[in-house]
Amino acid sequence: MDAENTIEQFAISDENRLAMILFVISEAVFFLFLIIAYVFFHGAEKTGPSAANSLNPWKTGAFTVALLSSSFTMWRAEKSYTRGQFHAFRNWLAATIALGAIFMFGQGREYLGLYRANVTVNRNLFGSSFFTLTGFHGLHVILGLIALLVLFALAFTRSERPRESAVRTIALYWHFVDWVWVVIFSLVYLWAVL
Amino acid sequence: MQNGSPFTPASTLAQPIAHLFVVVGMVMIAILLLVTALVLYASFRYRYRPGAREPHQEFGRRGLEIAWTVAPLILLVYIFTITVHAMHRADPEVSQNRLPDMLIVGHQWWWEARYLDSHVLAANEIHIPTGKLFLVRLESADVIHDWWVPQLGRKMDAVPGHPNLFWLEADAPGTYLGTCAEYCGAEHAWMRIRVIAEPQVAFEGWTAQQLAIPSTAAMSADAKDGEKLFQKLTCSNCHSVSGFTQDTGVGPNLTHIAGRETLAAGVRTNTPENLAKWLANPQAVKPESHMPNFQLTNEQVRYLTAYLETLQ
Amino acid sequence: MSDVPVTVGAQTLPLTKREHTSSMLRWVATVDHKKIGIMYLVTSLIFFAAGGIEALLMRIQLAVPGNSFLSPNAYNQIFTMHGTTMIFLVAMPVLTGMANYLVPLMIGAKDVALPRMNALSLWLLVFGGLFLYFSFLAGGAPSAGWFSYAPLSEKAYSSSQGLDYYALGLFILGIGSIVAAINLIATIILFRAPGMSIRRLPLFVWMVLITQFLILLALPALNASLSMLLIDRLLNAHFFVTASGGSALLWQHFFWAFGHPEVYIVVLPAFGMISEVIPVFSGKVIYGYEFVAASTVAIAVLSFLVWAHHMFAVGMGHPIDTIFAIGSMLIAVPTGVKIFNWIATMWGGAIRFTTAMLFAVGFLVMFTIGGLSGVSFAAFPIDWQVTDTYYLVAHLHYVLFGGTIFAVSSGIYYWFPKITGRLLSEKFGKAHFWIMLVGFNLTFFDQHFLGIIGMPRRVFTYPNLPGWGTMNMISTIGAFIMGIAVMLFLWNILITLLQGEIAGDNPWNAWTLEWATTSPPPEENFELLPPIRSRRPLWDLAHPENPDWKHGR
Repeated sequence: MDAENTIEQFAISDENRLAMILFVISEAVFFLFLIIAYVFFHGAEKTGPSAANSLNPWKTGAFTVALLSSSFTMWRAEKSYTRGQFHAFRNWLAATIALGAIFMFGQGREYLGLYRANVTVNRNLFGSSFFTLTGFHGLHVILGLIALLVLFALAFTRSERPRESAVRTIALYWHFVDWVWVVIFSLVYLWAVL
Repeated sequence: MQNGSPFTPASTLAQPIAHLFVVVGMVMIAILLLVTALVLYASFRYRYRPGAREPHQEFGRRGLEIAWTVAPLILLVYIFTITVHAMHRADPEVSQNRLPDMLIVGHQWWWEARYLDSHVLAANEIHIPTGKLFLVRLESADVIHDWWVPQLGRKMDAVPGHPNLFWLEADAPGTYLGTCAEYCGAEHAWMRIRVIAEPQVAFEGWTAQQLAIPSTAAMSADAKDGEKLFQKLTCSNCHSVSGFTQDTGVGPNLTHIAGRETLAAGVRTNTPENLAKWLANPQAVKPESHMPNFQLTNEQVRYLTAYLETLQ
Repeated sequence: MSDVPVTVGAQTLPLTKREHTSSMLRWVATVDHKKIGIMYLVTSLIFFAAGGIEALLMRIQLAVPGNSFLSPNAYNQIFTMHGTTMIFLVAMPVLTGMANYLVPLMIGAKDVALPRMNALSLWLLVFGGLFLYFSFLAGGAPSAGWFSYAPLSEKAYSSSQGLDYYALGLFILGIGSIVAAINLIATIILFRAPGMSIRRLPLFVWMVLITQFLILLALPALNASLSMLLIDRLLNAHFFVTASGGSALLWQHFFWAFGHPEVYIVVLPAFGMISEVIPVFSGKVIYGYEFVAASTVAIAVLSFLVWAHHMFAVGMGHPIDTIFAIGSMLIAVPTGVKIFNWIATMWGGAIRFTTAMLFAVGFLVMFTIGGLSGVSFAAFPIDWQVTDTYYLVAHLHYVLFGGTIFAVSSGIYYWFPKITGRLLSEKFGKAHFWIMLVGFNLTFFDQHFLGIIGMPRRVFTYPNLPGWGTMNMISTIGAFIMGIAVMLFLWNILITLLQGEIAGDNPWNAWTLEWATTSPPPEENFELLPPIRSRRPLWDLAHPENPDWKHGR
């Protein structure tokens, strides 16, 4: 090996996935600080809207199941792609997008309900920290859905089929977004009930 | 008048810090001299000379490197020990049932001081008896400020929503200068502090004088007009004068303004001329201060100045 | 000095295809790390001029007590922008730019891992910087200091839009830094030439690698904080609004969780440059490569554990103060022992005092001064006296200017010939160094004493107390001398670009891979790579009787 002096390029997929792993790490830190802020202010107010009196863990729990299922379907989609089963890949991908959209629909309904009850980002500390944390998460889900839609569209073409690297990389992002929600759901919805 | 420094302590609280600073300072200077000497020596002794042999390639010696890692660590253990020792002496623990003696509130850009036993209300300049340890509760009415009188001890932040306790004590009589030491907005530079330490008897005299309501008997005509103006022009919305108006805490209490050494937290010395200039246009003297320009006429300024000068 | 010999059995890389696009467009549209690196450097130089002018304006205002050259509001905007500019638009970009240019060369790669993302990170820097500076035209620059403590930074106390530009501008810059960090990590991990193991990485590359991990973990903390501040200011939320239950201290903890790793982000690559320059101009291999590399990892880990030493005066209580004092004292050790490694490298060498070496040696002493005053802060009762005073201003400038900028100056004189093909004038360079050394120390050394005799920082003026006026005047004179030194530097760059001496591949007889190609390098960096069997491939080639790999290094 030492005697060689050619420059080798490694396979393309490696640097994309490494880049996504690193990006996910940085995003994890970003969410960590929003979570710390939420936890810090949890219970700080004796009156006014709070997680305990404003949120519905059951409803949101149902939509959470949808989001986590989309992680499963994404994993199935990756598996299908690796095996060269493009129809299955497209179907699993469609399911992922649908489940993700259902989750966002649920978030939207929840936000609307809270807004109608005058629980807003500027109402109090709970409002500020709740909407900031879940809002940034929702934003990340939307960006993920866009990426998945692009993948989906490309999956219908023959010449521009997504490369494996792209599928695995975007899948990584999607799994991250789903599992961040597990943490957020636990701290925001479950902790309030316990 | 000197500002004083941590190296000229005038308090049992500042003394341990001075001592620590001297020891650490000597260590720092010694290390700096060592490093500089080594660098200069190496630079001269080992400079390139034409025709000399290529230097021997030394990759490192583990033993030496461990030694010069461990040695500083040991030194730091020593410094840590004296640090903790100084911490206890400069900032003694407050026992649970010890109540504060004084409440100091930082405002943009002045210091409010309330003596909790005597109920004296002062601003920017406070008097304390020598040798007595005051426990001060430090708060802020708006943004973060910082109380710092170098000769008397540590600085302490005044954080809104997070009251702090610190000790204040002076060993000898004198005037000790200080300042706000946390950037707090436009006029952070002019939030000066004066702590006047005096013997117990003199302090009690000052306290009595602060509690007394200034006599209105010998007021001149101008001053009487000024007093009426003070109430008519809503000065008392911000500034209290004991016996007439309630303290709103917005602006400094003015009951004894004529007896203070400076105006507007140190930006001017307290003279009738400077007071008149201030009243004529506070924004010109201390831009962005929260006292608006009332567009007073020269006559109004004269009356108000005369009135305020009676408030000894 | 012999040229790099051709090795037997080598493969030649495909020659680059000629580009037909116009010059300007080539630069704007480029994804080549060398052009991007140069643009990073040019951007940081322009902002260095801006930050320097801001500094001179401040020093004019402070030259005499009670001065009215700048209004309080103007001064406060300028000191805020000076700090923000120097950290985010000068120090970080110049180091990222050097890393961008040099890392692929030093590891034997053709380019970075993700060239288009590389271009993105550059343009995010340019846009973020312009966005931040636009605030001057939009009602005023931010004026709450470069770390914008709450609640001063909230709308109630800072009603102009300056802080919105600050928060959003820094947010954009942070994304750019994270993108660049991802790219450099991927490049270093995946794109090393055969034989270039992690243990053979040049120390500059090693330090850059560690720094990128710090960026990856610290900048998101800043971005989260800035998001919360923006949501407070624009949507009336309450995170840091103390009047409605928010926490001023939470901002400080969050900011310094970023802010402390940040100071290592701007100093570790500088250490890396010094670790390249000193060995070459001493004619000796770096002393204790493993210790220098390992101590860098120690610094990186510890840097996340000391943030609250910026908050000793806040009233956290003795137990917490003590814990952070321990960490802060500990971190001094891996930082400080590197100085011994560098001196040991010089020891027994054959030192050539080129301008690059002068700045490196100057760095050794200047950074030691800054590091030692830092240790005095760790003995926190001392901090209780001198934090937020000019003693602190002296400390930070000794580490950031005497440290980072001196090291960067050294690096620029060292690598300028590689980047441009021409050698900077040694005559002007030496003048630049000596005038800068005098000016810098004149400006900042007496500020230690100014802080000790009571002058707080961030004040637009000060009372006429004994000694304050004199020491401030000395500091102002020093600042203008520094300005002259910078002018000399710019002049040097200009005349060198126009008609400087041609450098050749390896004017310094250096040993790392970037010197194994032309100056400047071709589009894909190398036509041929020498065999890589140690940390100094070119030394091995020039010393077949005594190569490094014989010593197992």
